[in-house]
Amino acid sequence: MDKKILIVEDDPNISNIIKMNLTLVHYQTVQVYDGLAALEGIEREKFDLIILDVMIPKLDGFSLMEQIRPKNIPVIFLTAKSAVFDKVNGLKLGADDYMVKPFDGIELLARIETVLRRYGKDESEISIDDVRVFPDKRLTTLKGEPVELTPKEFDLLVVLIVNKNIALSREQFLDKVWGIDYYGDTRTVDVHIKSLRKKLRLQDRIKTIFKIGYRLEV
Amino acid sequence: MKFWLKIFTFSIIIFILVFNATSFIVIQRNHGKLLNREIDNALSQNKNIHSSVDAIVPIVLIYDSDEYEEKVLANIAKGFVGKVGDQGVYMTITNDKGKAVYNNTDFEMPIDLNESEQVKEDEIKYILRDVDKRTILFTSNLVKINQKNYTFTYIKDITSVYKEHADQYMFYLKVNIIACSTYMLLMFVVSKRLTIPIYRLNRTAKFIAAGAFAERAESGSKDEIGVLASNFNVMASVVEDKIKDLERLNREKQLFIDNFTHELKTPLTSIIGYANILRTGKINSSQLLEGLNVILSEGKRLESLSFKLMDLIQLERSEFPLKELDFCDILAEIMPALEMKAREQQLTINLHCENACLRLEKDLIKALIFNFVDNSIKASSKNQSITIRAARQGQNYVLEIEDEGGGIESEHLDRIFEPFYMTDKARSRRNNGAGLGLSICQRIASLHNADINVRSELDRGTTFIVTFKPGGTSP
Repeated sequence: MDKKILIVEDDPNISNIIKMNLTLVHYQTVQVYDGLAALEGIEREKFDLIILDVMIPKLDGFSLMEQIRPKNIPVIFLTAKSAVFDKVNGLKLGADDYMVKPFDGIELLARIETVLRRYGKDESEISIDDVRVFPDKRLTTLKGEPVELTPKEFDLLVVLIVNKNIALSREQFLDKVWGIDYYGDTRTVDVHIKSLRKKLRLQDRIKTIFKIGYRLEV
Repeated sequence: MKFWLKIFTFSIIIFILVFNATSFIVIQRNHGKLLNREIDNALSQNKNIHSSVDAIVPIVLIYDSDEYEEKVLANIAKGFVGKVGDQGVYMTITNDKGKAVYNNTDFEMPIDLNESEQVKEDEIKYILRDVDKRTILFTSNLVKINQKNYTFTYIKDITSVYKEHADQYMFYLKVNIIACSTYMLLMFVVSKRLTIPIYRLNRTAKFIAAGAFAERAESGSKDEIGVLASNFNVMASVVEDKIKDLERLNREKQLFIDNFTHELKTPLTSIIGYANILRTGKINSSQLLEGLNVILSEGKRLESLSFKLMDLIQLERSEFPLKELDFCDILAEIMPALEMKAREQQLTINLHCENACLRLEKDLIKALIFNFVDNSIKASSKNQSITIRAARQGQNYVLEIEDEGGGIESEHLDRIFEPFYMTDKARSRRNNGAGLGLSICQRIASLHNADINVRSELDRGTTFIVTFKPGGTSP
């Protein structure tokens, strides 16, 4: 079942972008535009995560945070202020992470993923066509048969799945899979992608996006 | 050395010097007088003796007997010493061979007294000598009887004069101690009292230096220190006001920066976010259109924000020459543009203008009117009208821009001139509003020495009133 995320953001454009980003990777979203509506929403429905702007009308993010803390729902703060005070304040109140505007959609997805995993809410099993991926066991099967993947190939597959329907550049893949300190050629990515396509028969799913990079389309 | 201690010490040193010098002079003078009187007395006594002896010389001459002579002289001496009757009065009579004819002294005659015995006839000499513990006055004269010289020495014990002298010194010493201690006590109190206001002033200065700018000194007295304290207070209030101004300015600047950051980051987040997702995401055509629309409108908002901001910065920095212009001419110039803008929203604009020449900067006044009317248009609904009135009111010239819109809630009224303040964010954003229009108006008004007031009633409308005061020069 897809995860349900509450977006509390007063600017409709930003709210829509977040929604678009989350929808692409198959999260369900609910949008509210002020603090009180957020509170009502939380009472009414169960959410797996809340993305919360600090400066929202009627009830500000920090006050809202204090009220919803007992529910133990993971929260990621969005803030236009990069003041250290806000970060400290936000994290102290129990926010799991924060992002300063303007933020990068990919980065937001990565943080959502991290926070959900910390709460044990990430999926234990992902299937694409005949491929099934078990992130906990680091196991991949094709039509029920285990497939031998190198550790880097497996990591690359997970990054593709997390950012499904969004294209990442070769540099972004290098960063996320090989780490920021890796000075290898971007062709390393091409080699691994080629190998993944072949081993898992995902030629149609892993698309090459001209002048950008690769995208897993689901 | 502390100030009170200086006052205290120096006044006491001066007091002791003056008091003791005076005492010394008085005592010495008294003593001198007393001594002189004693000496005069002794000398006149001696003269008396001399004249008594002179009186009996003829008789003595008749007898011409040394023995008789000496007896007579001794009798005279006895008579005098007895007659004076005082204790401590003595007499010696010696003949020219050094033999004492009469001597009733109870002490050894000092040897050096002999020098004074070389007195000439009809001459009286006196000398003071300390004998044992006494001070004794010797007066001598020479009397010639029967070709024989007799030295008459009248002696008086004047120890009491010196004792008196010493007593006086003792007395003055006591007085001195009492007077000095009393004086010290008084001076201590006085100098402390005198310096208390200084200490208070000092303490206040320290408080102020430590940041308590509201602290004030007591300025009770009318003396120099009191004047200093009140001047100090005047200074402190000026400093406090300045600091408050600076703090307020700083707060405003910080608020401006915070708001500006927010206003800048929100559209940027949308633009960057949509651009990125359009570039990388697997999206359909309606999502593409949505994204492009947002990028366009947010870009326009940023453009409008940057223009407004440039206006505001320009207004802060530049000096504008004001010229004598007719207000109605300026209004007439921008009316077509305003009416066009109003027609788009199906609004009408009514204009009533009374001609008057004011010192104005044309472009700024246009911007002011434009911003106000733009504001009114945004607040109005279809088929309503906006009224612009400009007329003299007494000394002032007053511009009113009235709309029939929704009005402004009183909680917002105080803040609408703050940069980036918007009563309805969503609506302002739709109209590309940045929340800077009224800040710009206020700045323009202050450059023209004009005040802005707002009258607003919910659901009835809002009126902005700009009052140009006479002598409208920039402050």
